[in-house]
Amino acid sequence: MVTENALRGCSFFSSTPETAFAPEDFIADELLMIQMAEKFSREEILPQVEAIDQQEPGLMPALIAKAGELGFCGIDTPEAYGGLGLSKNLAARILEFLSLNGSFSVTIGITSGISQVGVSLFGNEAQKKKYLPLLTSGEQIGAYCLSEPNSGSDALSMSSRAEQKDGKWVINGTKMWISNAQWATQFIVLAKVEDKVTAFIVERDFPGVSIAREEHKMGLKGSSTARVVLENAEVPLENVIWEPGKGHYIAFNALNLGRFKLASMSIGPAREALRCAAAYASDRKQFGKSLVEFELIQKKLAESAARFFAAESMIYRTGALIDTAFDYCKTLDLPEIDANRKAAEEYAIECSACKVFATEAEGFIVDEAIQTYGGYGFTEEFPVARLYRDARVSRIYEGTNEINRIFLADRFLKRVKEGKASVVASGDSFVSELAGAAFAKVGDAPGQAKVGALSDLLMLSYAEQSARLRAARFPRYGAVYDLFLNWANVQAGQAYQQVTGEGVTIPAPRSANLGEIAQAVVRAKGPLD
Amino acid sequence: MRILLPIKRVIDPYAKVKPLGDGSGIDTGNVKFDVNPFDEIAVEEAVRMKEKDPSIETIAISIGGAECEDQLRKCLAMGADKAILVESTREHDPSTIAHELKAWVEELKPDLILMGKQSTDGESNQVGQMLAALLGWPQATYASKITIEGGNIEVVRETDSGEETLTLPLPAVVTTDLRLNEPRYIALPGIIRARNKPLEKATEKSNKEPNIRYTKFQSPPARPAGRKVANVTELLAALSERGVSL
Ligand SMILES: Cc1cc2nc3c(=O)[nH]c(=O)nc-3n(C[C@H](O)[C@H](O)[C@H](O)COP(=O)(O)OP(=O)(O)OC[C@H]3O[C@@H](n4cnc5c(N)ncnc54)[C@H](O)[C@@H]3O)c2cc1C
Repeated sequence: MVTENALRGCSFFSSTPETAFAPEDFIADELLMIQMAEKFSREEILPQVEAIDQQEPGLMPALIAKAGELGFCGIDTPEAYGGLGLSKNLAARILEFLSLNGSFSVTIGITSGISQVGVSLFGNEAQKKKYLPLLTSGEQIGAYCLSEPNSGSDALSMSSRAEQKDGKWVINGTKMWISNAQWATQFIVLAKVEDKVTAFIVERDFPGVSIAREEHKMGLKGSSTARVVLENAEVPLENVIWEPGKGHYIAFNALNLGRFKLASMSIGPAREALRCAAAYASDRKQFGKSLVEFELIQKKLAESAARFFAAESMIYRTGALIDTAFDYCKTLDLPEIDANRKAAEEYAIECSACKVFATEAEGFIVDEAIQTYGGYGFTEEFPVARLYRDARVSRIYEGTNEINRIFLADRFLKRVKEGKASVVASGDSFVSELAGAAFAKVGDAPGQAKVGALSDLLMLSYAEQSARLRAARFPRYGAVYDLFLNWANVQAGQAYQQVTGEGVTIPAPRSANLGEIAQAVVRAKGPLD
Repeated sequence: MRILLPIKRVIDPYAKVKPLGDGSGIDTGNVKFDVNPFDEIAVEEAVRMKEKDPSIETIAISIGGAECEDQLRKCLAMGADKAILVESTREHDPSTIAHELKAWVEELKPDLILMGKQSTDGESNQVGQMLAALLGWPQATYASKITIEGGNIEVVRETDSGEETLTLPLPAVVTTDLRLNEPRYIALPGIIRARNKPLEKATEKSNKEPNIRYTKFQSPPARPAGRKVANVTELLAALSERGVSL
């Protein structure tokens, strides 16, 4: 039975649930789906990463078509539109395993995610029927066009304009950094009608649409990123999504869910990097010993596993919460669009926390993987250099981590004002106590550094609680949880000092046997499971 | 035509297994299970046959605990039409499984039994042969190619001395080898459809007692470290020391 309890965004801050969804809760045939995703990555994607990075003509669209045949391009899209109608949480888990290579990850992530979600949540029946099946089948590729040369983080300051002329919309503007641009045939384009942001479905063949050259990027070389230029682009009237002036809801809610998915897309490559590092550390010998016998290398593997564990715990807890919110909102006496909007907004803070935490965990893990490989890691002979380059952008797109850090605390305080969250912390951990104290002491109009630190405390509270709830159910994670807790306490202490200007004593660290955790990582061939 | 596909749930063939401390069995804590890879090849082959001839019916059957449902669902997701789980938690050996299967064959009357040549856990390589003997049916083991032609089946089998081609009248028992095919990716829609395919739970029909009792499980002794030899002369000397004559 889904009850109002389904709408408990931010409740982690002030209370401790008895239990929370963990990745172990995916059931039998869901595991088979996840296993197939990993098999697809290992057999179809990883052997071709060089050709993918060289953007061999036709290769990526062919891979997407193949993925589509297997059902990977519309996992959580309703069945009526060619999707599988599975949960968002399972879709994210499957996406994690389809994300062992960054370029493929972003391509499928966008065509199966942010380029569909605007239409599937806010489009009308005719739009859904016309556009979604072509994406879910993998026959076509989609793109999402919000950013512009002069409006990135400040997305709403966009200068693209749309006006009605001769029974059509005419759009002018340049969209920048558009993933999938080269291959896409359907673009969700945000442009202003008068001064109100509006979302349109634009087909590649519409008059006035052109794609500029590929950007030369530091990583994700196999993904297409280019400008989409709209010069008096002609779009049929019926291609407005929802109605003119609602584009910001569409953009932001697509981003909420996009951030959640990006979190799982970020731990996919991190999973692969840790797998590589563990294998290398047990094979490579120096001073007559395997690297994994050295405590400083053990520490890298163990800390990586700990950070991964926390990221994974919070991501799939969040996914389950989002699913219950959608299920519940369907039962409300609301028009479908409003119900979808309500559900997509409810866990926006958790989604942002997952995005920031997971992308930073990914950054840490790929960096330590390079270090574990030593000089070989710095060459293109081994897979970790690519993982490292590809990972960097995770902290930049779907809202930079700075923008997310502003959003987190800001939105939380807004919810508190609306009576939808409490600023009194549960105090169920040292991190939570500090978070409560910091919010109590922050005072009016804090600067960005303090807001960012408050956001860190929110994020760490959520991560720590999620990791703790999971470790309580599965004692085999006790050691990685302890290691994560030690790190989280130090991070929380720093954030608290930033907010309050006061010193704070960090609890003594729990002892964690680095060698044992590292050996477990080697045995598990990557993150512990 | 009806094909029966006996399926075994085995510990993930790529996992490193270790015996329990008291030697009473294998430590199955936190290990994954899968369909025995040779059985999966049998299912794939049957599904391919059915794709060519839709009148073929394929039935997967497994003998074991309730947990075997996961593996049967996988077979249904691959394309098997129906599954039977013969629930049993007692000890088994190749002969008890062969007797149980025989009883099911008498009820289901398949034209072909397609199964792995062995399982990756016990590696006995006996069930197919025993079953054929109990039924009095022809058998072809280690199949690397199978062609159905009218009432006959042509099987190319791999032997130590090369390939051998047999033609058998149906009904027959055929056991599969690795080179027969490469099992497909299971499409997600197939997995979802499998949720609605029939999976019948049944009790054992045979009460045959096992001939084999497992008394103790232990790891093989650690191998002593090797020795490096400087050149071929030393290598030859070391070999002849161990009684290897060239
Ligand atoms: C490979 C790649 C793929 C992309 N794909 C897409 C896509 O498919 N669709 C799409 O629409 N966009 C896409 N983007 C764009 C991406 O979302 C933007 O790059 C991102 O939002 C940041 O905008 P910007 O690059 O203009 O940076 P800016 O907004 O100029 O930011 C520069 C720096 O200033 C910081 N900053 C900005 N504002 C503030 C503030 N108020 N307070 C504190 N710090 C601030 C930022 O955090 C950042 O560190 C992609 C980008 C890349 C690199």
